[in-house]
Amino acid sequence: MNRQMTRTEESTLRPEPGILQDWLGRYRRFFLIGLPLAFLIIWTMVPILWAFLASLKNPLEIYESSTFFPRSPSLAAYQTVLAIDGFGKWIFNSVLVTAVATIVPLILSILAAYGFARYLFAFRHVLLLLYLIPRIIPRVSLIVPLNDLMTDLGLINTYWVLYLTYIASAVPLSTWILVGFFRAVPREIEESATIDGANMWNRLRHVILPIAWPGVVTAAVLCIREGWNEFAFVLALVTETGMRTLPYALYMLKDSMGVQNYAVYNAFTILTVLPLLIVYLLLERRVVESIVSGAVK
Amino acid sequence: MATSYVEYRELTKRFGSTQILHGINLQIEESEFVVLVGPSGCGKSTLLRMTAGLETINSGEISIADRVVNRVRAKDRGIAMVFQSYALYPHMTVADNLSFGLKMNKTPLERITKSIASAASILKLSQLLKRLPAQLSGGQRQRVAMGRALVREPEVFLFDEPLSNLDAKLRVGMRAEIKALHQRLKTTTIYVTHDQIEAMTMADRVVVMNDGRIEQVGAPLEIYDRPENLFVADFLGSPAMNLLSGKVVHNDGRMDFELENGIQLPLPDNSALRSDQQIIYGIRPEHVAFTDDDNGLPVNLTLVEPAGWETHLHADLSGISLRLLSVERVGARPGDSARLAVDTSKLHLFDPTTGRRI
Ligand SMILES: Nc1ncnc2c1ncn2[C@@H]1O[C@H](COP(=O)(O)OP(=O)(O)OP(=O)(O)O)[C@@H](O)[C@H]1O
Ligand SMILES: [Mg+2]
Repeated sequence: MNRQMTRTEESTLRPEPGILQDWLGRYRRFFLIGLPLAFLIIWTMVPILWAFLASLKNPLEIYESSTFFPRSPSLAAYQTVLAIDGFGKWIFNSVLVTAVATIVPLILSILAAYGFARYLFAFRHVLLLLYLIPRIIPRVSLIVPLNDLMTDLGLINTYWVLYLTYIASAVPLSTWILVGFFRAVPREIEESATIDGANMWNRLRHVILPIAWPGVVTAAVLCIREGWNEFAFVLALVTETGMRTLPYALYMLKDSMGVQNYAVYNAFTILTVLPLLIVYLLLERRVVESIVSGAVK
Repeated sequence: MATSYVEYRELTKRFGSTQILHGINLQIEESEFVVLVGPSGCGKSTLLRMTAGLETINSGEISIADRVVNRVRAKDRGIAMVFQSYALYPHMTVADNLSFGLKMNKTPLERITKSIASAASILKLSQLLKRLPAQLSGGQRQRVAMGRALVREPEVFLFDEPLSNLDAKLRVGMRAEIKALHQRLKTTTIYVTHDQIEAMTMADRVVVMNDGRIEQVGAPLEIYDRPENLFVADFLGSPAMNLLSGKVVHNDGRMDFELENGIQLPLPDNSALRSDQQIIYGIRPEHVAFTDDDNGLPVNLTLVEPAGWETHLHADLSGISLRLLSVERVGARPGDSARLAVDTSKLHLFDPTTGRRI
């Protein structure tokens, strides 16, 4: 509110510009910000939009016509997907594994990041670098040793194998993000809380976390995304149909369908992507709100 | 027991291998307002933070209200601290900022409400209780920071340059308010600043620090009128004291001071001085004045800076630069020649090797 008022005040103070300048000035924001933004949105949205439209077409229409919009939109493909034997179980698997692979890493990495950000212990820099190793090594190169290890442990085709691998890959990511956000919280604010009588737990809960909230949400979004989209581990460590997650099931769908039914394939894709988009939009809103309110600087 | 309220005994502090504080000894009386001044990096904040319990103590003791607090946690030391950055909780309203400490200490809700209301009315924050810090002006944030200290009802207030983020006018206003608050509450206060005016106007006693040591402790005017060493003489006062090196000479039974360029300045009778003794001759700019006397020191004015009610001048005395300050309007311009007289009753003489006052 305030900010907008000062902006109009500024513009009334500006000297009278020529007509062209006036026009450029008025539309400058459109050219500098609006146009690139529109381009970006189209760039990212077109594939999803295309998949969505394709999912509404009937199976043969995709081959025969070059039209963008479906001639007679139908939700038949979605019905087919939902009727696939095991689809419900795959969604359940994805949700379960993603939830575990988000909540557990967040808890672990909030504690770890707080330690890295605030305590001057020996070798903390080295340790923080070592933390990154699971993410530096190409995931594919881990598959064979992991498979051997998990077979020996008898964990293949259990949720545990997914929990363990997903969590291990999410913890370093969210820790690194959170260390940055926690360090950005001015030390004096935390010292004030110390004097106010807050112990470590209360400082973390009532001061650090609320201030670094956008960081926590960012880490959560990335963990959710990682978990939801994870493919290599589930491919290598799960063989039973009932243990698949959505991306794996989607991958298998291609082979399992006799006739390549693109509408069904795209419907499956949309159903896989949709939950992630919804989560993202919901959380994104929270971050923006907290930034706008001035609670976070 | 002891009468002092806050006491430092041989307090030292190291960061890594760097010694920051070298044995601080200081006693602060109950309800005293003590100001720590000193150049940047001299350890003022460190001393304050050690008092608050935010830094560890390497050796020595701090006691507050007759209790050694070296091992007492920050929240139990009976202190409240106001930081230069205010360090408000940005995600909490003003009311929540004020009540956070009380809530953490499980204060009953009624008492919290009462404390906040009283602090808010003292600091004129009542209208702002629902706002977030981001929605406040600098001065208002400063007030909230003070309010947060106030509701803790501490035995000692610690301020670390609380006004240095405010503009000049607001600073003067807040200075008076803090002083008035102290007169009302009579809470022992340790106040860090590097603003001399703040130090002079607010303090019951000023502690001048340099390089991790206390150089002098005393009432503001006492320190100003009688600096114990060269550092304090140079540090306090703006424009700074003229410090001229030279030696004592005998002129028919009288002592004079001879500058390196051979010009002589008068000395008062001082039995401590010997002939040929090297000394530093200190005279404050306001104690050098224009004179009509032909025996005055012949100078050329090099700089004239009218600053409103006073004028700062620089004069050249055959190659030696002098600062003077006049509260009268000065018509002279740079390049003019003039004659100056020194008020010998206001001289400060120092030993150049030890830096001590003679
Ligand atoms: N955490 C730290 N680690 C290492 N050195 C430190 C630390 N904190 C302060 N120092 C050093 O200690 C010295 C004293 O610092 P301090 O902050 O007490 O100075 P100050 O008198 O408050 O200065 P200023 O007027 O600039 O605030 C400085 O040389 C500073 O570099
Ligand atoms: Mg400081």
